[in-house]
Amino acid sequence: MSQRIDIGPFHPELEESVYFRLNADEDRTVTAVEIINGFIHRGMESLVTKKNFMQNLILTERVCSLCSNQHPFAYALAVEKISGVKIPPRGEALRIIADEVKRVASDMFNLGMLTHLAHEHELMKDTMETREHMQDLKETIWGNRMDMSANQLTGVKYDLNETKIKFILETLAIAEPKIRDLQDRYESDESLRSKTIGIGILPKDKALELGVTGPVARGSGINNDVRIMAPYSLFSTDEKLKPRVTLRDGCDVHSRAMARFGDILEAVRIIKYVVNTLPEGDTYVEKRPHIPAGEAVVRIEAPRGELIYYLKTDGSQKPVRMRWKVPTFTNWEALKVMILGDKVDNVTMILNSIDPCISCTER
Amino acid sequence: MKIEEIKDLLISKTVNGYELKEDQDSYGNPSIWLILKDRLEIVHVAEVIKACMGRCIVATAYKNEEDNTHTVIYHFDIEGLIVNTEIKTDNKETIAITPILSSANWAEREMREMYGVEPVGHPDNSRLFLDPSLVKGVLNEYISLSKMSLGVSETDILWADVNKGIKR
Repeated sequence: MSQRIDIGPFHPELEESVYFRLNADEDRTVTAVEIINGFIHRGMESLVTKKNFMQNLILTERVCSLCSNQHPFAYALAVEKISGVKIPPRGEALRIIADEVKRVASDMFNLGMLTHLAHEHELMKDTMETREHMQDLKETIWGNRMDMSANQLTGVKYDLNETKIKFILETLAIAEPKIRDLQDRYESDESLRSKTIGIGILPKDKALELGVTGPVARGSGINNDVRIMAPYSLFSTDEKLKPRVTLRDGCDVHSRAMARFGDILEAVRIIKYVVNTLPEGDTYVEKRPHIPAGEAVVRIEAPRGELIYYLKTDGSQKPVRMRWKVPTFTNWEALKVMILGDKVDNVTMILNSIDPCISCTER
Repeated sequence: MKIEEIKDLLISKTVNGYELKEDQDSYGNPSIWLILKDRLEIVHVAEVIKACMGRCIVATAYKNEEDNTHTVIYHFDIEGLIVNTEIKTDNKETIAITPILSSANWAEREMREMYGVEPVGHPDNSRLFLDPSLVKGVLNEYISLSKMSLGVSETDILWADVNKGIKR
């Protein structure tokens, strides 16, 4: 007999508000999925047209907490493209460091949530404890555990001295072996494998059709990492910096988790490389940019995948139109493919496997 | 695929006029801007994107106050190359490309919801983010916070139940 099951919009296993209306058969296999959104819509794309370019730097950092650094980074790139500003190499390098630190912390949070939902509490505790090293790093270097305020128009607001560089390298020296150990445990833990392998399948052809990005794409064997396909900042000039992307072909929850481990370890390598080769010079262009009328489309690789910003200006101090698309915007539709035919008990874990950012998506 | 090949494919089926520009971001990544005179020809562009194994990243819509029209820009990706295709509509309608490119699904639904531009032929008529009682095209105009907090509604559905409760 078919039964109707509601999950959300507020539920202990949901990070943010979303409402699943499911139909399931007597084996609790999902036969129909309806996803209702809109609980966190704030009309931010309207709000940014009422604020000036400086204020929008603050606003974009508050679209979401987990990828808060990526939004102002992409926004600044769009403004700089229209202004024709080229930021100093040291500024570019510092942007990459902040971005990759944020990537490690964000991805590790998602893995912590996965083990929480899989009731693997020992693994969850160790994952969150390891992530805490990145939180300490953020608090020490940028003065905050979530919003780093690293970016400004024409460069960055922070700088690194020898003491801070030493602290970053020492922290990574402690965290990296722990991350590798966790990677082995996630890969080999029989209990976790039994709960994640073959769960939430997104076949490669469906992933291509739906245009998913980030670790969701990589877990289905697709590499559309922006750092490789359309490299920006130092990724465009230094071949050694380009990430060696982890592709998995399991197309399931486990594959997406392991793709994230690949991202985390590459981010650690990138941070170490950039910190050790940090160019000398200014961190920003001192002259305030003139922002003429124009249009720009820029994109970067956020922890969840491709983040794209469109900006249209008319020479005034405010944007005429600003639009951004976060990875979850497209990855979300793939949930219907992943959930249909799977068990009701796996739904929240499958949702977690796309690392949903609902605040970002609904804006 | 080479950028010239993609450009040739894009304009091969465009019969009613176009403007084609090439741009580069600050790091040398090229992008294409295609402005179509005939909004219906977006379908041909979508077919080319599909044939090239590309995808729709997102679409941007906005209202042109001076002539009361709407501009819609589709942002496509082919192997890392961004193809921006711009169309203009004076009757708040476009032809949906979701039947050709599934990746355009949410982008077109959001365009309908926020700017009231209807993607004709879209397979999904349900709301994306906002409650069905709210008017379509809320981003077309400035709405004060006080008005928004009362519900930007064409009907009184949103508050009818609340008022009923108060009267009880």
